[in-house]
Amino acid sequence: MSKASSYGRKNLVISILFTALVFFLSIKLDPYNQGQLSVALMFFIGILSIVLLTGASGQISLGQGALMAVGGFAAALGILNLGLSIWLAIALAVFAALLAGLLLGIAAARLSGPYLAGTTLVIALAIPSLATRFESVFGGDVGLTIDFGNPPAWLTSLMGEVGYEQWQLLATLPFATLALFFTSNILNSRTGRSWRALRDNEVAASLAGMKISETKIFVFVISSGFAGLAGVLYGLRGIVGPSVYPISLSLLLLTGAVLGGIRSILGALIGALLVVFLPDLVEWASASFSPSEQIANYLPAMISSLLLILTVVLNPGGIAHGLHHKKRHH
Amino acid sequence: MDIFLSAIFAGTSRGAIYALAALGLVLVWRGAGVVNFAQMGQAMFSTYIASTLIAQNYSYWIAFVVALISGGVLGGLVDLLVMRPLNRKRSSSVLDSPAMRSTVPVIASLGILGVLQAAAGMIWAAEERGFPTPVNSLGLVINGKIMPFTAFDLFVIGIVFVTLLATTFFFKGTGMGLAMRASALNPEVARLSGIRIGLVRTLSWVISGVASSLAGLLVTPSANLSPYTLDLILIIGFTAAVVGGLDSLLGSVIGGFALGLLVSFVNVYDAPEDIFLAILIVLLTVLVIRPQGILGSKEVRRV
Amino acid sequence: MLEIKDLVTEYGSVKALNGISLLAHEGKITTVIGANGAGKSTLLRTISALEHPHSGSISWKNKSIVGLSPEKIVRLGIAHVPEGHAVISQLSVEENIQMGALFRMRSNKADVRLAIQEIYQLFPRLEERKKQLAGSLSGGERQMLAISRALVSRPSLLLLDEPSLGLAPLVVEQIIQTVNDLCRNTGLTVLLVEQNANTALGVADHGILLSLGTVAADLPAAQMKADVALRAAYLGY
Ligand SMILES: Nc1ncnc2c1ncn2[C@@H]1O[C@H](COP(=O)(O)OP(=O)(O)OP(=O)(O)O)[C@@H](O)[C@H]1O
Ligand SMILES: [Mg+2]
Repeated sequence: MSKASSYGRKNLVISILFTALVFFLSIKLDPYNQGQLSVALMFFIGILSIVLLTGASGQISLGQGALMAVGGFAAALGILNLGLSIWLAIALAVFAALLAGLLLGIAAARLSGPYLAGTTLVIALAIPSLATRFESVFGGDVGLTIDFGNPPAWLTSLMGEVGYEQWQLLATLPFATLALFFTSNILNSRTGRSWRALRDNEVAASLAGMKISETKIFVFVISSGFAGLAGVLYGLRGIVGPSVYPISLSLLLLTGAVLGGIRSILGALIGALLVVFLPDLVEWASASFSPSEQIANYLPAMISSLLLILTVVLNPGGIAHGLHHKKRHH
Repeated sequence: MDIFLSAIFAGTSRGAIYALAALGLVLVWRGAGVVNFAQMGQAMFSTYIASTLIAQNYSYWIAFVVALISGGVLGGLVDLLVMRPLNRKRSSSVLDSPAMRSTVPVIASLGILGVLQAAAGMIWAAEERGFPTPVNSLGLVINGKIMPFTAFDLFVIGIVFVTLLATTFFFKGTGMGLAMRASALNPEVARLSGIRIGLVRTLSWVISGVASSLAGLLVTPSANLSPYTLDLILIIGFTAAVVGGLDSLLGSVIGGFALGLLVSFVNVYDAPEDIFLAILIVLLTVLVIRPQGILGSKEVRRV
Repeated sequence: MLEIKDLVTEYGSVKALNGISLLAHEGKITTVIGANGAGKSTLLRTISALEHPHSGSISWKNKSIVGLSPEKIVRLGIAHVPEGHAVISQLSVEENIQMGALFRMRSNKADVRLAIQEIYQLFPRLEERKKQLAGSLSGGERQMLAISRALVSRPSLLLLDEPSLGLAPLVVEQIIQTVNDLCRNTGLTVLLVEQNANTALGVADHGILLSLGTVAADLPAAQMKADVALRAAYLGY
């Protein structure tokens, strides 16, 4: 059996196991945690977009939240103005994000490092402000209301009663699985290897005949598609608006990506779970010494920022790096 | 006409503050090769310290000086606690490529920003506070006519010019300034000349910390103080620095004033919501047409 | 005396120096010659601590200098002029020279001033161009400037890496002669790396031939110069 197809099969098995595990959890968890887990899956998709962009190809973006917003708004407009089903709206969102990624990529291909970081940061602020600017179209500060709707009849007849959070989780799951499968395939493919070559040595890659700009733009497009998908799912929880995709969302995703391990799919999952459940965890852990509300409010942000610094300084590969490392030693 | 004039004056005094923020970014970029996204977080923190002192009835000027000192100390700590260990870490495979080498300090600075904002929130709560000015902030009256600028505006512009002159003198006229330029331009030759480049780096963090807390102190009277208010200044300061040339002090100041006027005109003649969009357009235009900025040198790392 | 024993320096898996031992006597010129990639530059870079040795010892005036930082080593009187006209082209000629004396500016301002004057006497062309950016100098002038930057620290040991690189024979002659005079008149110790074996061996007291990171020959300069077979084997001429 060739190496490539063995990878493909392994990816398939992992994806199936992943789906089964989340499905099992969706039955066991209470509605609150079902909702949280679904957000974690959305973040997982969003963080995968960073794994592809920064981890694999070495470009940084602080503006993934803006691309999420593009996805969210495209879907909301499709649903509200064209009467699309959420599935078609999701497809539309991904398409819109791919397009936005193309534009962004064309601008970004010339930049790297701090220039790219700063520019994408400005983009992260500018795009959501468009919503306020064109209030009649995008709904201003409040935004547009969309949701996952009710679970389809076949699902309820199969599983009995399905709550809204559970439906949100089950509707997100196939997309997370798809993203997982797609990412692991592309990272193990020739395309993924060429991205890494670009990251590790741009000059050498260019001497070896790689078209640098085209490749960078291509990575941006793919990564943006992921961000758009994450964005529409995130918006389908209820509202698409500037307050749903603030700059802090972009930074939160980046934090998750770094904490989990910026080069690893497993890391993306760990990072997503970490940033979503950290506030709950902190609240639970600090309950015994009941801090004042003022401190409690900022404790999760403090801890995740500290973890971010510590990770970068002490273990830049993130949690997943540590895990892989152990595995290799044994 | 009056509207136009007042837009010019408002833009100039705003621009002076953006110029300071840009100056702070350029100092660290030149001295240590890092764009410090935590910079205005440091400024916010030291402005809170000043605000606390003022609330306890210390004079404005004592608070002012303490804030500048704490800005410098914070800058130095950022370098010693985070950037230096990061620089020394060469073994990690994640850090091996040049692309990641320039990206990772950015991520670290975002972490520092997060820590400072959370700490400010924990210590001083989230409610916004006002902040006094040392001089009158009503429109100046000349010949019985109210002018579209205030004594405070003049004060701000004056401070920026003094800062620019002082930093220019420091770089061109002192040994330490020469050491800083040499270390930034060619660390290897600098070290072989006996320059302690670690010390020089830390010093550029300290000076940048002072410059940016100055920006924080001067902008806060017109924008209430909260852990997040100064983020905007960072964005505009960054754009100003890129417009002027990330490695040029004078360029960053020119960029600052240009951005100040831009923001002011968008505010007056268009709508405040468009500010970010206008900034984005300016930023992208400059990066495409003249990536090294107005006064930046071509040899600057095309990153 | 500079004393090096069993020095090994690696770049990743490449052993650039593979057990080098040598002596350089005070007040003498010792030249290190060898083909491209022999490890000459690496030897100098390891002495000035730009590279960390894997093993072995380096001592100057009977004190070990392994493990010190480059900044510290300059303060011990060891000045390194690296390969390729190493000046900072965006700084002026004057600033490049001052840079070499910054570390002792505060403790000995008068002497720094004197040292700069002496340098201008040595290379009058640099004084004429002192306000000019170093980047606008000719290759020869740039090499003079690089040497001046090192000399202004008043070193007792000068590490010179291929000063002749890319220069016309006449300029090479002039630079080498200047170094020779300095050595004879002030007691400066020189470790001179050269491709140009004839010129180097012509002024040097002692010659060291490197090959693939090891010492292939260690002879008085005159003797090495006369050894045609040796040169044919290692340098190809
Ligand atoms: N930074 C580096 N990374 C990896 N290998 C290096 C590095 N610098 C030098 N080398 C290798 O070490 C060996 C010795 O190099 P070095 O520069 O010391 O040679 P040299 O004798 O000075 O040659 P030349 O006469 O061409 O200057 C060479 O094989 C070279 O490829
Ligand atoms: Mg060499």
